Amino acid sequence: MGTKAYQILEHTADIGIRVTGNDLAELFTKAALAAFDIIAEKKSHSEKTIELFLTQEAGDVSELLVNWLNELLSLAAVKGGIFTQISFQEIDAHNLKAVCFAESAQAYRMKTEIKAATYHALKVEKSKSGWLAEIIFDV
Amino acid sequence: MSENYPIRLEKIDDYRWRIPRTCNPGMKVCGIIYADEKLLKDIYHDKALEQVANVAFLPGIVNYSLAMPDIHWGYGFPIGGVAATDIEEGGVVSPGGVGFDINCGVRLLKTNMQFEDIKDHCTDLINALFSDVPSGVGAKGDIRVTQKEEKQLLVKGARWAVEQGFGVEADLECTEERGEIKGADPDAVSERAYERGTAQSGTLGSGNHFLEVQVIDQLYDAGLCDTFGLRQGQVLVAIHSGSRGFGYQICDDYVKSMVHCLQKYHSTVPDRQLACAPVNSPEGKQYLAAMRCAANYAWANRQCLMHRARKSFERIFGVSWQQLGMELIYDVAHNIAKIETYTVNGKEKKLCVHRKGATRAFGPENPALPERYKKTGQPVIIPGDMGRNSYLLVGTKKAEEETFGSTCHGAGRLMSRTAATRDINLNVLLKDLKSKGIIVKASGMGTLVEEAPSAYKNVNDVVSVVHNAGISKRVCRMRPIGVIKG
Repeated sequence: MGTKAYQILEHTADIGIRVTGNDLAELFTKAALAAFDIIAEKKSHSEKTIELFLTQEAGDVSELLVNWLNELLSLAAVKGGIFTQISFQEIDAHNLKAVCFAESAQAYRMKTEIKAATYHALKVEKSKSGWLAEIIFDV
Repeated sequence: MSENYPIRLEKIDDYRWRIPRTCNPGMKVCGIIYADEKLLKDIYHDKALEQVANVAFLPGIVNYSLAMPDIHWGYGFPIGGVAATDIEEGGVVSPGGVGFDINCGVRLLKTNMQFEDIKDHCTDLINALFSDVPSGVGAKGDIRVTQKEEKQLLVKGARWAVEQGFGVEADLECTEERGEIKGADPDAVSERAYERGTAQSGTLGSGNHFLEVQVIDQLYDAGLCDTFGLRQGQVLVAIHSGSRGFGYQICDDYVKSMVHCLQKYHSTVPDRQLACAPVNSPEGKQYLAAMRCAANYAWANRQCLMHRARKSFERIFGVSWQQLGMELIYDVAHNIAKIETYTVNGKEKKLCVHRKGATRAFGPENPALPERYKKTGQPVIIPGDMGRNSYLLVGTKKAEEETFGSTCHGAGRLMSRTAATRDINLNVLLKDLKSKGIIVKASGMGTLVEEAPSAYKNVNDVVSVVHNAGISKRVCRMRPIGVIKG
């Protein structure tokens, strides 16, 4: 993932990111890939890919984003994978269904452990040009 | 004082500052910050003070929303935040007031060796520790337990580790809660948390977690040093780690469910990361039962890490750890919620005390202390950054009166990780540490830059405030000679 796909926000103890997208699918994809770009960088070719089908529900779009990111972080830790590709089948402010592809973490150099995405200073906004999100991760 | 800062502090004395309730109508109590003029300048740099004010919204909060001098911007609570809620008056527990790394904490053990005894073996010793103690992002250990055993570990904590042969009974006596907090219920833990915690027992982790070999470079209280058996130049070992992925998942699970409790229990908080539920509600009880499992996991983890460190020393020096005098001084939690009893407005109250980047600091005669520390007060271990100092303090009666028996937990970050990565040169840092005689081994070089001394406040300033404010008392100071980072 190129460094232009997300912006780092300064935070004393943790790491914040800002991402934009034309629609929710792009926003949620970029937020997830940004998290894994912070966590690890590729060091070798990976042949094994893990494919997971994910559904999430939430009371609003902010909660949906936090739940989505935390589910991916949790699954990555459990499966030993780094998520690299996401394809949404459905997404609105309350629900999502996605197919997520992860490569084995063994093909990556681990950089930073992200414990979780937090609600603190969380922003998910719709503007004329699309969607914007700011998220602070506990690292 | 910053002219533009939205929060105006009122000076109480040289070491205490008040955020008045008028700052925000939702605040149920004032905020109190322990700091001096010098540290306040740093504190104004980020949003930590707003977070102290936000914590003052918590239902049932009593006296004050407190912040220690190592305060900095966190999520929900500030790091260095302390808040107590009155359980009988609908007081809440907030997973965000404990954080994702439940029972992140530190332990300090001594040796009977002087720096002179080990200086020719330092490189071998640090290499041995680095190879024997698994560290780094997502590190896996070789301690494998079945799910049945895992449940025992979650209930017994450090005692489980001792029963496996990873330590002795005296270690438990010198651990907060004997390393085995009561009320842990493995059934309150999700399957995912079990999965995430598997294979991480006995691992250090990454980020600010470390294992350090230190040397005492300053004695402050000769009487206390004698009682603790500490002298100038003595070699100590500090271990800083937490509950790893197991704790993260428990916090995640319960923040997720407690976001919905805000509406259910009509709680108003300005940040959803402060999601909470009354301590006496089913959700509050369940969180505490799960949090205690993570706390016990962390104590078992630090016990295993200490065992590995003892074995490394045995390997290098060719005698048993007992012959090397490697006794545990104490182990403290600094991310936890505890039920403790205090006198509030003349009445004895059971409170839920949240310490988020803060250390328990009970004074002499507190019934929670083991016999050996009844006269001294509770040992409090304050790790600094890897290039400067760490401290051993003791708790005081004044802390019990003013801060719900709490004090600072470290130096506190000053610079963001991104700023540190941008501004600090790794080679210059390594050269600087080498010139100070500090050997550093790290799983990830990126971590080293993020954790560089200049990214932190000066721990000497932080400790000076808690000592002068009387909420802890300096015993001795250490300097690092070997550092293992994740």
